[in-house]
Amino acid sequence: MAATTAAAAPQDSAHAPALTFPRPIFAAVAPHPFLQAHLAASQPSKTPLRANSRTAHDFRRVGINTGSLTHCNGSAVVRLGNTSAVCGVRAEILHEAHVQGTADFAPSTGNEAEEDPEREREEIESLRLLVPNVELSTGSTPQHIPGNAPSSFAQTLITRVQSLLLSTSLVRLSDLRILYTPPSNLDDPDVEPVPQLKGYWVLYIDIFYISIDGNAFDAAWVAILAALKNSVIPHAFWDEDLETILCSDVPSEAHPLTLRGLPIPSTFAVFEGKRDWNETGEEEEADWVLSDPDAFEESVCRESVCVVVDCTGGNKGTKDGILKRLEKSGGGVVERDAMKGLVKRAVDRWAEVEKATNAKS
Amino acid sequence: MAPDAVLSHLHRADGSATYTHNGYCIIGAVNGPIEVLRRDERPEEATIEVNVRPAVGVGSPKERHIETLLHNTLRSIISTPSIPRTLVQITLQVHSLPDEDSSTGVSPSLTLLPHLLHTALLALLSASIPLSTTLTAVLIALPSTNTPTACTQLLSPTAIELLRAKPIRSAHVFAFSGEGKMLLNESDGTFSYEEWDEAAEAAEEVCCKEDGAVVLAENMEVDGREGENLDGWLRSVVRTKVEHEQRWKSAR
Repeated sequence: MAATTAAAAPQDSAHAPALTFPRPIFAAVAPHPFLQAHLAASQPSKTPLRANSRTAHDFRRVGINTGSLTHCNGSAVVRLGNTSAVCGVRAEILHEAHVQGTADFAPSTGNEAEEDPEREREEIESLRLLVPNVELSTGSTPQHIPGNAPSSFAQTLITRVQSLLLSTSLVRLSDLRILYTPPSNLDDPDVEPVPQLKGYWVLYIDIFYISIDGNAFDAAWVAILAALKNSVIPHAFWDEDLETILCSDVPSEAHPLTLRGLPIPSTFAVFEGKRDWNETGEEEEADWVLSDPDAFEESVCRESVCVVVDCTGGNKGTKDGILKRLEKSGGGVVERDAMKGLVKRAVDRWAEVEKATNAKS
Repeated sequence: MAPDAVLSHLHRADGSATYTHNGYCIIGAVNGPIEVLRRDERPEEATIEVNVRPAVGVGSPKERHIETLLHNTLRSIISTPSIPRTLVQITLQVHSLPDEDSSTGVSPSLTLLPHLLHTALLALLSASIPLSTTLTAVLIALPSTNTPTACTQLLSPTAIELLRAKPIRSAHVFAFSGEGKMLLNESDGTFSYEEWDEAAEAAEEVCCKEDGAVVLAENMEVDGREGENLDGWLRSVVRTKVEHEQRWKSAR
């Protein structure tokens, strides 16, 4: 064996120093040039492909499976390529007497309170009726060291999920409130009995990552949406004799959650190519905005943009208030004009994901 | 009203700054370049560590999120390849918040973010960490009205102004680099692309328009308050700092 390589060596040096790597070694040794080589080097007829053989605008297909956990009120498993997340929603009763500060919200008589998302958000936020949590399983990603306190990555995810849940007012307060209408007064039957607030449903939303291959936030959010859509809350009522809240075990009395709109996030990573590579001074496209980045691309890209849109009303124009959130940090490549394109890509993605979530329900 | 800044007042830290604006007061300290933990060492650039401590209590996931945002943003303005294999440690302590901060209807992390960014930058300047550019940030709130026009924008509103303008439909935080590139954007609420674009344009003018005298004068009329170019404010802070450091030269 050694003899053959020795024999081959002089031949090789006659041409050029043979400096070729297999693909995975190139990716491991020099990830940045590797991705740039993928995106830049291509025939003009073909659109450049990323290392994962998607084009820059391609998202991964969403796979949603709902109702797979039996002990939850609602659950979903979402796959986004090699990123897979499980979300379980569990509802528990919070007695009105056990919390402080419900007095501010107590006059829950009218319909006007139900239709004001601003007030609902305050109530949900101050009583913490939605409790998301994120857990990374052992081996889900190489960066995650098991046995430690939740990493700042997990904590950031929880915060983003929670603030999006609140700011979009996704869950209706009327679904969470447990009201009791006393029987009408015998002395004065004309007076309409006023419903009293007896308790709340608290939704514990747990997200568990089986594996993370980039774009953890999108996967988590789609899993939450699918799980909440799938959730069924039992009928709870105040029992006057026992003076407590009871749940009915009749399945037909349970009600599903009715969500407000369908906000869908789309995450983009911005790849900044090295411009000084070609000395010719030609103006070449050196930055790429990659849709739905995987873990390898996330490790190479510094800037990331997340656009959350909700086109439930059917409007998709630039004047319509469809944007729910924009997050961008890490660099200055995406400017105002580029953002317009990203919003459009997010709107296209919205239709795709909407189809996937409705198919299973 | 321009923010107040005091630089290099903590003597144990390599650089420090106290920043006060609209009732928000933040103390920032920077240590660096210092030795880095072996685990965090990067062969070709400096490691940046950001710690945010809230005004009350210990840090929560909210602070971790803000730290991540600050880390991502500061990484793009600190010239990290010039100090490889070192650590730049930035600690920001929220000293006081306006009383109305929790009831504005805007996420408290959004109202705090521009102030944290400014404090971090001032502390970095005070520590003489090599920077590739500067940074200015601003909060813009759009109250819900039936006719959304440009003049309803609230540019870096105080907590009381937000409370009066309630309900706020959307809130936006923008940060721009010295060259006018958008480094950070956090927008929350319900808004259209055009509203966002207008907000971004207004933010760019407040942050970094060099010859924005005319535009600022217009804003003054609209808002009924003194317009201030944040880039100009930053320059004046640095000028004061340099004058202070050069006083041995001018002394007779």
